[in-house]
Amino acid sequence: MHFERDRKNPTRIYYVIDEDECVECSVCLRSGCCPTEALYQPELVWPRTVRKNFSDPLKIHPETRIPGRGTEEMKTNEVTGRYRRGMYGMAFELGRPGVGARFHDVQKVAQALAALGIAFEENNPVTKLMADRSKGLIKPDVLDEKVLSAIVEFMIPAERLPQVLEVLDRVSQEIDTVFSGDIITRVGEDGAVPYADEIRKRGRFLSINGKSNVGLGRPLAKV
Amino acid sequence: MTHTLHRRGDRESLSQDYIVFTMSAKGLNEEGSAERMKQFLGILLKHHPVNYGDMVTGNCHVKSQEEILQNIQSTSIIHGVFTDEQDVVEILKELKGADLGMSVVVTGVHDETEKSCRKSDLAKHTVENSLGIFGQHKKLPADEILQLTTMCGHGMVPANLVERVIVQVKRGKKTLREGAVELTRPCHCGIYNPIRAEHLLRRLVPLVTLGA
Repeated sequence: MHFERDRKNPTRIYYVIDEDECVECSVCLRSGCCPTEALYQPELVWPRTVRKNFSDPLKIHPETRIPGRGTEEMKTNEVTGRYRRGMYGMAFELGRPGVGARFHDVQKVAQALAALGIAFEENNPVTKLMADRSKGLIKPDVLDEKVLSAIVEFMIPAERLPQVLEVLDRVSQEIDTVFSGDIITRVGEDGAVPYADEIRKRGRFLSINGKSNVGLGRPLAKV
Repeated sequence: MTHTLHRRGDRESLSQDYIVFTMSAKGLNEEGSAERMKQFLGILLKHHPVNYGDMVTGNCHVKSQEEILQNIQSTSIIHGVFTDEQDVVEILKELKGADLGMSVVVTGVHDETEKSCRKSDLAKHTVENSLGIFGQHKKLPADEILQLTTMCGHGMVPANLVERVIVQVKRGKKTLREGAVELTRPCHCGIYNPIRAEHLLRRLVPLVTLGA
């Protein structure tokens, strides 16, 4: 957002939304913050439509049928059986918290991971935008689009964690934004969280808080 | 979608911050899930959440309870926010007894939610942690601001709004409580914790000096 002076009446100054920076999250519209109700949602056409899909949590992705920009991931794992013991789910949320990201930065991260031979989560909106999943290439027409958050999501065998973190440390210095990292595991039969020691041993940050699926969903996946 | 992950703060502050939520597994237990999610929200409401909502409709600081309940659909994600671990224990016990067949996720400090599970005779199935923030940290606001913005995982509470609220509280135009509620409203899903926000603002406001 920036100020502009009215051409006909130079004493009048007004705000202008910077369309290139706007991620179409619609929070300004919903807040009712404009006293003169001058804000409106212009009609969006491809490729700008991806901004809204990835930034406005009210928009239900046509592919995932989930509001927001992600997937069910661990939230329904006892039913889907997606994350099994010996595997870690990982997600890297480009642009989060609050900075936003362009898809050329999303592509840099995806390319670095693809070089490790990683298979991206099928039912994920970023994966759906890939032109070549084996190389982590995003469709060229969306590369300049800016979104609030775009999640690169995948699963790895537990032993590959150090290698993945090393690559992410490197590529994080090559992008013009931030990303938040997530790690998911099925709890061990003894109740242990297998990645906790591995991450702490390396002196890396691991949050004290997080999400826990308490296993009440039915039918249970056959694992 | 990891909207309740990445909440930042120290243990004391995060220990007053629990979210209990549910969603259906698409194609697996979606049928009839709207009714079961209504029952889920009914159980949460008995324990006086400080915020609640449905990702499809909005949060209780913007929408009425009736509107939220009536509009629950199979694509809904229903959340409730609590500040007391004992409430979480009671809710988990009731959910276990109700046997709704819906997946339930509890977000909070892991060793405390572990205790809650044990007290309610449940065991964690799958867990998720934050690995922190990577990349260009210079683009981020101060951590004290991030503690307030990251309570909305979809980024609907921007740093600018937090700064505006701090100024309004500082100038006596809003109370701490009113400021916290203003920050709570844009978080559509209802996962923002207004009580924790009030505590964080109480800590932060005296540290800020206004220009002339």
